[in-house]
Amino acid sequence: MSLPKSNQPDPAPEDSVSRREFLVRLGITGALIAGSGLVAKKLWQPNHFVPGFQKEKGLQLNSYALEASKLLPSLAIAHGTEHEPVIRAALGALGGMGRFIKKGDVVMIKPNVAFDRPPALAATTHPDALRAVAKLCFEAGADKVIIADNPINSPTGCFFKSGLTTVASDMNLDLLYPETNSFAPLSMDGEILKEWTFFNTPFKKATKVIGLAPCKDHNLCHASMTMKNWYGLLGGRRNQFHQHIHSIVSDFALMMKPTLVILDGMNVLMSNGPTGGRLSDVKTMNTIVAGTDMVAVDAYGYEHLLERDLAELTYIHKAHDRGLGNKNWKDTVYKEVQA
Amino acid sequence: MAIGKQYGSGGRKQFVRTRVPAAESFASAIILLLIVAIAAAIFHKGKNYDPNLYAVRTDSLKSTIAPVTGKGVTAPSGQSAAAQSTRTEAQTPALTEPAAETPVTDKPAANAEGSPEGGGEGAAAAPKPAVKGEPLEIALPGTKPMSDTEFYNSDNLFEKIDGRSPAYQSFNVQQLRCRSFAVTALAGSYVDVYEYRFDNPVDAFGMFSLERDAKGHALDFAPDGYSGEMGYFFRQGAVYVQIIASDQKTETMTLAKAIAENRAKELPVNDSGLAGRRKLPATGLISDSVAYVPENAQGQAALKDVFQAHYKYDGVELPFFVMVTTPDDAAKAWQSFQDFCAKFGKAETLPDVNGGKIFRAQLFNKWKVVYVREGELGGAYDAADAAQAQAFIEKYLRGELK
Amino acid sequence: MKWKFNPQDLLKLRNVRRVAQVFFFTLFLFFVFVTDLRYLKGYPVSLFLELDPLVSFATAITTHTVYMGLMWSLLLILPTLLFGRIFCNWICPYGILHHVTGWLFGKRRAEERERIEANRYKKLYSLKYVILIAMIAAAIGGTLQIGWLDPICLFHRSMSTVILPMINLFFPSSIYVHQYFHVGAWAIGFMLLFLVGMNLVIPRFFCRVLCPLGAFLGTLSTVALWRIDRDPTKCVDCDLCLKNCEGASDPHTQLRKSECFVCFNCIEDCPEDAISFKFLPSMKREVTAPAVPGRRAFLGTLIGLGFYAFARTSGASDRNYDKKVIRPPGSVEEKDFLDRCIKCDQCIRTCPTNVLQPAVLESGLEGIWTPILNMKLGFCEVNCTLCGEVCPTGAIQRISIEEKTGTGPFEKEGPIKLGTAFFDTGRCLPWAMETPCVVCEEVCPVSPKAIYSREVTITKRDGNPITLRRPYVDPALCIGCGICEHECPVTDEAAIRVTAVGETRSKDRRLLMDGGVTSAVMDLEKRQR
Repeated sequence: MSLPKSNQPDPAPEDSVSRREFLVRLGITGALIAGSGLVAKKLWQPNHFVPGFQKEKGLQLNSYALEASKLLPSLAIAHGTEHEPVIRAALGALGGMGRFIKKGDVVMIKPNVAFDRPPALAATTHPDALRAVAKLCFEAGADKVIIADNPINSPTGCFFKSGLTTVASDMNLDLLYPETNSFAPLSMDGEILKEWTFFNTPFKKATKVIGLAPCKDHNLCHASMTMKNWYGLLGGRRNQFHQHIHSIVSDFALMMKPTLVILDGMNVLMSNGPTGGRLSDVKTMNTIVAGTDMVAVDAYGYEHLLERDLAELTYIHKAHDRGLGNKNWKDTVYKEVQA
Repeated sequence: MAIGKQYGSGGRKQFVRTRVPAAESFASAIILLLIVAIAAAIFHKGKNYDPNLYAVRTDSLKSTIAPVTGKGVTAPSGQSAAAQSTRTEAQTPALTEPAAETPVTDKPAANAEGSPEGGGEGAAAAPKPAVKGEPLEIALPGTKPMSDTEFYNSDNLFEKIDGRSPAYQSFNVQQLRCRSFAVTALAGSYVDVYEYRFDNPVDAFGMFSLERDAKGHALDFAPDGYSGEMGYFFRQGAVYVQIIASDQKTETMTLAKAIAENRAKELPVNDSGLAGRRKLPATGLISDSVAYVPENAQGQAALKDVFQAHYKYDGVELPFFVMVTTPDDAAKAWQSFQDFCAKFGKAETLPDVNGGKIFRAQLFNKWKVVYVREGELGGAYDAADAAQAQAFIEKYLRGELK
Repeated sequence: MKWKFNPQDLLKLRNVRRVAQVFFFTLFLFFVFVTDLRYLKGYPVSLFLELDPLVSFATAITTHTVYMGLMWSLLLILPTLLFGRIFCNWICPYGILHHVTGWLFGKRRAEERERIEANRYKKLYSLKYVILIAMIAAAIGGTLQIGWLDPICLFHRSMSTVILPMINLFFPSSIYVHQYFHVGAWAIGFMLLFLVGMNLVIPRFFCRVLCPLGAFLGTLSTVALWRIDRDPTKCVDCDLCLKNCEGASDPHTQLRKSECFVCFNCIEDCPEDAISFKFLPSMKREVTAPAVPGRRAFLGTLIGLGFYAFARTSGASDRNYDKKVIRPPGSVEEKDFLDRCIKCDQCIRTCPTNVLQPAVLESGLEGIWTPILNMKLGFCEVNCTLCGEVCPTGAIQRISIEEKTGTGPFEKEGPIKLGTAFFDTGRCLPWAMETPCVVCEEVCPVSPKAIYSREVTITKRDGNPITLRRPYVDPALCIGCGICEHECPVTDEAAIRVTAVGETRSKDRRLLMDGGVTSAVMDLEKRQR
């Protein structure tokens, strides 16, 4: 039967697929099959998880502590009348700032700027103390000195009124104010602190960390010294910590391993802390304590600067029992000097 | 496309394909077998399961609303309360905490029903908004405000004073209003003004005395107040005012004083309820032990608006109370208290000391030494040693305890 | 027209296709029916969803994982890459539904020319690619919206929320123990009616015009090695191949590979036997890629990204979350949930208490038809994890009962909480109406109970005293199951209501800082239990 031919183009003689085209098309399809199989296998999640209960891979803080030295003292106590010579003497007794800060280091000094009080009221880190420590860091060869704190209320106001903004601009320090994206979730296995939002930005580039804290009475945890100082690095609704204040402060010794802590006992807030407010609450003790173990430094401070019974200071005993430091500072290698 | 306009079957009968290539038959057979295999696999999969997954108690899915009907009926008058509670005690766990009647202390610990933190609807309440109020305006020469007025209430007070806030909350602080004022003559100098408003003058006084500096200088414009080297602190009405200077330069301190006087002038005076509080001597007072009992102190109907505190005296802890009222009422109360003690224990009158009449009583193995002097009634109570209690009271009456 | 039974007919691919259609459609209906606590056993009732390649592809984009059973989709991707869109006519139950509807109610024998015209390719059919692109763009942005139009999701959702309850309405107790209700079912029902009804206007309307899965498979078909091939030497241009062409793929000229459903109807209809299913025929006689104009594709991308942006900036998934968005137990955190939920409503189907409901706008535009709990209709039975069992994408993780209740090895972590119950003491009988009750305390399933009561004696209006128990919630113990709300005699708006805060799946919606451990432990010590 002769049927009418289609209007469609006749198949040209070479209409059949060439060998090359054949292989290419086969190859592409094969590659896609293999590819989708491989990608699926790589992305496969064969097990479920329980939402909200996963171990958060939060930020893990580095340790900034140096190796313990067998020869050099780990605690130094210096007495004198002016901030700078006494701080120098204390650091000198430890072996000099050069033991801790090397050339090119980026040092993060954590002051206590929790309140907008003038320096004379001893509720915040004294500007002269910061000036001296920063100077020593630069002398030891630090490239950059960062200062940062996260007061609950008005960071600019607190830094300004406590006199630290002036120090920062005079000495060209990097003053980092907390901003919304300065925080990252921190993961740790504390007693109370497991996951919490942490003021991370100042630590991103830091190679060494120095805690510079005033010595204060505190109506909730009895004292605010070098261990409580790290409280200022936490974000979020921190007032919940008031319920478990001693456990939290002992957790700070786990959270932060600084290179050095310095307790400014030149003027001590003896009562009505942490805010104080009257000069009569402040007593001149003319002492600086510096050390690598914040538990030991705080133990000295409570007994000899705040002049109280160490048995009351619950958080020190918690930290000591957890192996986070040694409250018996007399058993460590220490040195006491006069500036 | 189509040749001309003719397409379709053109009237031919339906075509049925007869020639089926072998490859097609083979493929079809495979597919059919596959379908059967899939069905078998699914059937098999259906058999293997963990029965615990479906261990849902199906009877629990039935609603239990039914037993409640009939509960809503109020029993007519005359029926006892017990009969109305038709649900048997055995079904619900025995969990009762009788409403406790705790005296309202300087640090109120629980409300009347004693609900724990986090119980009931309170847990969900959104934080109270910061109480707004009138901005703190101070019209004085040589100063201008450095910032806006800040307001805080009890819930967010920690944002301003962090760890110090629980101390204020223990006295039921209502609001903090604060503002900084610059010293126009000196760059960088300023005066901070903090006004803590409490519910009543008694609470304000409580907080003020907690932070009181014993070495402060008295103020002529505020009887409950003192000045330190860098500030002024006083209570006026239900407000505890703190004026803190940034430094001790002359201009700053002058301004601080002017501001303190201005606040003392502007804030209303109100000393209600404080009469008894003032009487409590400071020497040996164990801080945090001051309590205010509005009525029925020590079970006595006559003892109202009583202030209590514990004292460290001679190595022991001694509870002390004081009440200020009219001389008539004080005398009557003293007498009725003595009669009560005589009825249930032993009581004897002691010689007067410095205008005060005293009786000593022993009640249930504890000693009381109670005095009355004009409108003031007070004494030591729950003391273990009678002699010590008596010595304390006599010292007090002689004015040796400040 | 006589048709003699020829045994050879059985092995014609078109007839095998019909067998497959019957099989898979029946299988689908079986799965839907058996997704019930009483019958579920071990049947893989979400198999169709797990086979759906668009589901695994889109969730791989949003979550960067292929969740558990979604690996099965490789079983469909492979044949598609080889043979083309066989899924659409052989396996897809929704496609089969449209096919049958069109066959039953569409133009029948007489209007041959109309049938031919109806099956010519229209430019409208490129719309599904734009839809697919928009959905993928939204997925790249960070929200999974394929569930609106993915056929398996749509069909499962329609069955669960509309068809089965409808059957149960007309034939009580045939499907459910007691009648199930679903919020907003009318919208889903009308959507189904519309889409199925449109088959009378354009055959396979949904499959050709809207189906994003079809578009996805069509894109994959581009590299298929086999296709329907027309021999031009035998072809007489009668266009009869179009008469029953399901995909409107123009087999009468250059076959559109991305549209062909491999239904084999054209092979049977061609009077010249000119059509065959060929391996690697010439690319000259085909339209290989889908015909989507570039501008339309770009527009699709913009719409998709715009949808994501508009939906997210409306804030419903952030701090402004609706208290009524209580997700099923085992749900992932909200933003991840919106990355995973394909709105298939399998969880809603399987829930034994009818507490799961398709959301309307509570969780924002992106959350439409995602599951939330409505305690007026049901409650979350404590020892049940069925929703997680059937969820194909892991929006609800496949948690075990021990993980849900915080028992056994999971005791330290504690139970999963869906939310927290709060008393409305203005409505509660013992609190506001001088009437004894405490049903809530009785039905609270956790041990120790999260609801406790305190005895109080008050004087009633008539002057008589009455001793009542007034209930309280311990937020540390409450798991948000909602039995209390469900059983509360104040049925219009219960005096105790569960809201989403305190859910454990979300870090920033917790109520108590340390998960309530301190309060619970302290309370236990206080009450000495």
